[in-house]
Amino acid sequence: MLEIKNLHASIAGKEILKGLNLTIHEGEVHAIMGPNGAGKSTLSNVLTGHPAYTITEGEVIFRGKNLLEMSPEVRAREGMFLSFQYPVEIPGVSMVNFMRTAVNEKRQYEGKTPLSASDFLKLMREKKALVGMDNRLTKRSVNEGFSGGEKKRNEIFQMAMLEPCLSILDETDSGLDIDALRIVAEGVNTLKTPHTASIVITHYQRLLDYIVPDFVHVLADGKIVRTGGKELALELEKSGYAFLNS
Amino acid sequence: MLNHIELHTGETREIIIYNESNVDWHIVQEKGSVLRLHVLCLSQSNTADEQWKTSIVVEQNGKGCRTELYGMGLLHGMQQAHIHTKVMHNVGGGYSSQLFKFVLDDQAKGSFRGELKIMPDAQQTEAYQTNRNILLSRQADMLTEPQLEIYADDVKASHGATTGQLDDSALFYMQQRCIDRETATKLLLCAFFDDVIKTIADNQLQETIIEEINQIL
Repeated sequence: MLEIKNLHASIAGKEILKGLNLTIHEGEVHAIMGPNGAGKSTLSNVLTGHPAYTITEGEVIFRGKNLLEMSPEVRAREGMFLSFQYPVEIPGVSMVNFMRTAVNEKRQYEGKTPLSASDFLKLMREKKALVGMDNRLTKRSVNEGFSGGEKKRNEIFQMAMLEPCLSILDETDSGLDIDALRIVAEGVNTLKTPHTASIVITHYQRLLDYIVPDFVHVLADGKIVRTGGKELALELEKSGYAFLNS
Repeated sequence: MLNHIELHTGETREIIIYNESNVDWHIVQEKGSVLRLHVLCLSQSNTADEQWKTSIVVEQNGKGCRTELYGMGLLHGMQQAHIHTKVMHNVGGGYSSQLFKFVLDDQAKGSFRGELKIMPDAQQTEAYQTNRNILLSRQADMLTEPQLEIYADDVKASHGATTGQLDDSALFYMQQRCIDRETATKLLLCAFFDDVIKTIADNQLQETIIEEINQIL
């Protein structure tokens, strides 16, 4: 589904990704761990098309197409979703209006007819129940006044609404207590199908107890330096990243 | 042209000033009266003749008056809007708020001069003034001049003026949710004017303005 070949990317003239390679197939969950500054957030920004980053070398193929040529909204419509580490607040734009616009843009891209107002509200109710989203939060402006945990829950709710094939969870567990983390993980697991894939970027092993990865990669100094199964996460938790210096 | 209006004791009045040029208003409020006034400058037409100039002077002459002034300008092409307001608290116990928002694109020019004068006898006054502006192009120009003169000492007063661009991180967030930049910009600009539009009592007019904003964008 996703093939990253020799990706080099920089921001403000500083190279962060230095030849990253990664292949992801349908149905797989890939965890990405690594020390701070290694390039984990850069990777999610580059994949989603954040304008601050420049690709200097390499290619990325998403569902058989050249990802790097697509604008951020086209990448999203093709089925890529990012659960942001710091979701932004958008006062004055209601959750309902925002989601209806997003869902219908995706449907239009896929050649489907837009949802009527009542069908859309039905979809919202269904997805709210699916991920345990509080009713009051969807009546407000996007993320306005939401706590950290509520913002993360809102990301998963939006994921449920948009049904992406590739979800990138950027430090979804940061700022969450164990209960909130469990609920978010449950939401992610409920949305999983044999045709979806996930990239879970995390510092801590505990999220991976709930969202069990098929592969664990260590991203260090702009490259993937080690890959293993889920046991690798436990090993890293025990021994840290000291092995990188040897 | 000068419009002179008096609000009598306890009277509530709403005034809508929609795309009027060269009109000055002088409004005197008696005790306990409530004024809600909206200045709206937006037009799809693009001629350089589109210049709106308004001056609004409000005097609170009676105790316990309430003055709410709202304004919005959505300017493009060579349009210009220049708004001057002056709220005078001559007596105490009054409340006034001014909320003016401008969005300028192309070579549009705008200015907001917001005067607030709280006289020595006007104790227990509460007065607020806010001007927020968004520039969508490098050639758009906005001049903002808050002017506060406060002579009483038991008052609550504040003012704020900011001029900037649209929030890039909000735009990117919306793009990541399948919404193209143009549509996202429209959503953000409508959201920007939300608190000025929602205070218009006439729902029909509210809808008309929202529709007009969408057409211009």
